[in-house]
Amino acid sequence: MEIERPDGRSPNQLRPLACSRSILHRAHGSATWSQGDTKVVAAVYGPKAGTRKNENPEKASFEVVWKPKTGQIGKAEREYEMILKRTLESICIRSIYPNTTTSVIVQVVHDDGALLPCAINAACAALVDAGIPLRHLAVAICCSVADNGYIFLDPNKQEEEKMKAFSYLVFPNLNVSVLPERSTQKGGEPTAHGIITSVTHGAMSVDDYLHCLERGRAVSARLSEFLRKNIEPKSSSESSKAG
Amino acid sequence: MEQRLANSWRQTINEKKFIETALLSELRVDGRRPFDYRKLTIKFGKDDGSSEVQLGHTHVMAIVSAQLLQPYKERPNEGTLAVFTEFSPMADPSFEPGRPRESAVELGRIIDRGLRESRAVDTESLCVLSGKLVWAVRIDIHILDNGGNLVDAANIAALAALLTFRRPECSLGGEDGQQVVVHPPEVRDPIPLIIHHLPIAVTFGFFSNENIMVIDPTYHEEAVLTGRMTATVNANGDVCSIQKAGGEGVYQQVLMHCLKLAHVKAGDITAKIKDAVEIYNTQRALRKIKRHSISVAMDVCGTPAKSREKQNQLDGSHLDQSKFKDEASSMECDATSSGQEQSNKRDGVSNKFIGGPSSWYGISYCCSPDLLKASLASHGPATHRKQKGSRSETKAEEPPQEMTTYSSPTAAGLDAAQNIEGKTLKDAVKPKNKRKKKRLPSDSGN
Repeated sequence: MEIERPDGRSPNQLRPLACSRSILHRAHGSATWSQGDTKVVAAVYGPKAGTRKNENPEKASFEVVWKPKTGQIGKAEREYEMILKRTLESICIRSIYPNTTTSVIVQVVHDDGALLPCAINAACAALVDAGIPLRHLAVAICCSVADNGYIFLDPNKQEEEKMKAFSYLVFPNLNVSVLPERSTQKGGEPTAHGIITSVTHGAMSVDDYLHCLERGRAVSARLSEFLRKNIEPKSSSESSKAG
Repeated sequence: MEQRLANSWRQTINEKKFIETALLSELRVDGRRPFDYRKLTIKFGKDDGSSEVQLGHTHVMAIVSAQLLQPYKERPNEGTLAVFTEFSPMADPSFEPGRPRESAVELGRIIDRGLRESRAVDTESLCVLSGKLVWAVRIDIHILDNGGNLVDAANIAALAALLTFRRPECSLGGEDGQQVVVHPPEVRDPIPLIIHHLPIAVTFGFFSNENIMVIDPTYHEEAVLTGRMTATVNANGDVCSIQKAGGEGVYQQVLMHCLKLAHVKAGDITAKIKDAVEIYNTQRALRKIKRHSISVAMDVCGTPAKSREKQNQLDGSHLDQSKFKDEASSMECDATSSGQEQSNKRDGVSNKFIGGPSSWYGISYCCSPDLLKASLASHGPATHRKQKGSRSETKAEEPPQEMTTYSSPTAAGLDAAQNIEGKTLKDAVKPKNKRKKKRLPSDSGN
């Protein structure tokens, strides 16, 4: 029994992914990430001296600026900034450069659904491009639950509006987490089974949420493969960008 | 905040001297001549009215949107135009979020003056209900990368975005003709803005030595300049605005020379912008065909799963094509079938080629059943789709491939369709020629 999505994808199919690194010249690290039509540019300015007033000076702190495509910056943007900040803080090794601030600036180029996961992926790629020490990578995915209980991955804007509920999930990606293709075994993996971030909109049952988590984790292997391939250095002698 | 300033870039005396000395022999640090522009690339986004411009290392994005608002009291019959500039912190470590700096305000004002005072954008056509509702056009300029000469790049981005922007069509309805109905893009095509001419901003930099003048200064040169002037001229030779805010004094002859140079450069840049917009418009027209086809195809063909179904649809599509020519009906019919094939192929191939090269996509033309049959025969029925655990392998090359897939097969395969679109009347007169041409591939295929 096939469920038809407006653009012809299957429920587990992601939109075409594209990632490019080092697109900006002044920023220490930059990346664009696009999933289908949703496109986000992220830039990172490497550790700068000093922390803000309320931050712990014994650790490196992060500052996220979210720039929407058009319009004033409002509460939604502040929420995205907060979520992004907390997610990035958990993947970075904060003890290496205490009392510094790393700025991550995210610019929305086009929003066609699953905006926050796209931004998290872009920010992660930009951090790698800037050379900020990370504990592991983070891959983000959006899972949505339809009224009939079916779970669709990576919905676009139209689908998101019709869904009963959707959730943004961010999974860690360790260096030994490359799964063999179509493997269904869960036990015996030396990877962490944690979720870094989960943001849900709408009401869904607990079972639905757990299914979303399963699906999300399964797809995160694919996503992290893609991310890893893209962030491999293109040449062995990549010059550093120290402003 | 002192911490941020501590990290901003300061130019050394050596750099300054080097740039000035090189300019004495008419050499610039990046190898240009004093009156050369850097490489200009204009790209457009998926939406109408969004453009990305790269001028050397400077990267600027402009987005145009429109809203129905009340007009100004003094001008009840005219729409409004507003320019908002965002000096994003990603462009330069010294740009801070929050209140716009004076250079951001100046940039916005220069662009605004070039467009508004010279009446480049026709605001009277933006009036819907005099005194009550007019279209308020808003241009958001985001500076992504500061490589110098932000004004010129931002101006070009704003113009490119305005040229490709389309506002929804609206009509007056209701009993007293006072109700405004805005038609969504699916119902009625949005219409472009009326732009009379393109005011191009050309920035000149002056140095302490009076004879040295450069066009399009880079970030390093900007730190050395002692005076700066931006002249906004259009290709007809009209000077739309001149901005020289302080700085070193300049002789009149030099200024006149600058204006003449600006005129020449404006001609070049106008040509480039127009070319880029042309290409975008053709792509947009092709995309519109595809968009119709995909939205209709899904209703028509339920699940495009098995190879046999594909073949049936193919035969059906050829029948459709011949019917189409006879009736000279809308081209959606033809586009539907080709769109079906495209989407069928895309789904089938994408699930098949997990891990394989995605360069196959470029080969699948919509009107060549031979290739389709060959590929289907060699790879069997598409049953992978049904597996719950399957997920598609999407590679980085896919979006550019998809773009070429859409543009080239639609261009090649739908050439006939386009001819049909342009010559529906002729078709009604001479259906036989077209029918013969179309049936040949299907005959050879069958």
